[in-house]
Amino acid sequence: MGEVIVVTSGKGGVGKTTTTANLGTALAQSGSRVCLVDADIGLRNLDVVLGLENRIVYDLVDVVEGFCRLRQALIRDKRLEGLSLLPAAQTKDKTAVTPEQMKGLTDELRQEFDFILVDSPAGIEQGFKNAIAGADRALIVATPEVASVRDADRIIGLLEAAEIPPARLIVNRLRPQMVRKGDMMSVDDIVDILAIDLIGVVPEDEQIVVTTNRGEPAALIQGSRAGEAYRNIARRIKGEEVPFIDLEETSGFLGRLRRMFGQA
Amino acid sequence: MTTVSHAVWNSSTEGGDRDALYLRRTLRSGQRVDHDGNVVVFGDVHAGAEIVAAGDVLVFGHLRGVVHAGAAGAETARVCAWRLEPVQLRIARMIARSPDRGDEPSVAPEVARIEGGQVVIERADRADDGRVPRG
Ligand SMILES: Nc1ncnc2c1ncn2[C@@H]1O[C@H](COP(=O)(O)OP(=O)(O)OP(=O)(O)O)[C@@H](O)[C@H]1O
Ligand SMILES: [Mg+2]
Repeated sequence: MGEVIVVTSGKGGVGKTTTTANLGTALAQSGSRVCLVDADIGLRNLDVVLGLENRIVYDLVDVVEGFCRLRQALIRDKRLEGLSLLPAAQTKDKTAVTPEQMKGLTDELRQEFDFILVDSPAGIEQGFKNAIAGADRALIVATPEVASVRDADRIIGLLEAAEIPPARLIVNRLRPQMVRKGDMMSVDDIVDILAIDLIGVVPEDEQIVVTTNRGEPAALIQGSRAGEAYRNIARRIKGEEVPFIDLEETSGFLGRLRRMFGQA
Repeated sequence: MTTVSHAVWNSSTEGGDRDALYLRRTLRSGQRVDHDGNVVVFGDVHAGAEIVAAGDVLVFGHLRGVVHAGAAGAETARVCAWRLEPVQLRIARMIARSPDRGDEPSVAPEVARIEGGQVVIERADRADDGRVPRG
């Protein structure tokens, strides 16, 4: 039976869709059967990022409303055998679906896939509640900004209240130079504030913009730093121990020492 | 009356039947605790979380949220934390806020109380009158 993982953040634009597309790609590349569910109804993106927009016939709302069977709405990825997408509806809004219906849908997908990744919309309203309804665990995406971290904290609290096991954190768009100069929060700062386990760090990478526009996730590209980070996260999702790449390069002896003195 | 929003605990199962509400968890952004008596948190209170208590508030952890002790008007109420770095701290009708440009990090347990018409904060082990807030 497959596992349902929701990718969520609270704050908008921090990289949920990018993360969902890349992790799905990396998991499928390593042989898993993966279904990506776009739960951002009314603002669908995931199909575009994957370059599959032109293949959409039916969508998630059509399935829920009984206009088609689940199988008819699933779109096969053009590159990876094991990757499928259940697209969101573009012309409906979030209230077209209830949490119970989402749970039913993800439970059906569990029968056929190893991983079901649900791309959550921003916010904490109905769309978020739908996205988490069937989830076994959650990945929280946050960028190194106070507002993003604050929203992530809020989301973690809501996930706890919904009795979804402790979420794991992905820090996205880290800029090591800025961290080194003290102009950006470090990964340690963020983990310290949120008090949850880290599952990966994705650097700011121009290639994300290029690949997103091409409809071809960075995880497919060897030599892309963000792509490599996503491949590592995918391995960790599967339970592998993968050492963290040190993007910050501050963990030398002096860095440690200074930090310890600084905190007295 | 005790109300706790967006939370999984229940006061009646955590000692809330007495005067003190005892919470053994982290309060995260958006979570709010309202209690008629004293509140004891064995965990952190994150920025964006709120505690409103008629009595004292004790936090055995990092306090970074907003806390209001003596919310029904008790000027003798106190706030004590292992690390006291609240965004805003209120006691009775007094309001104190953190400095706009980065506070000094708290390095020891501290107590906040009203003295001479304002909120004062001092190290818990140096509190001059030797009284510890009752939890
Ligand atoms: N690591 C990265 N490096 C550079 N650009 C990035 C990175 N991650 C995301 N982006 C860019 O940030 C923008 C927002 O990303 P994305 O759409 O994935 O966010 P989102 O959280 O899904 O947004 P929404 O809340 O609107 O659904 C996109 O233009 C994307 O290309
Ligand atoms: Mg998105």
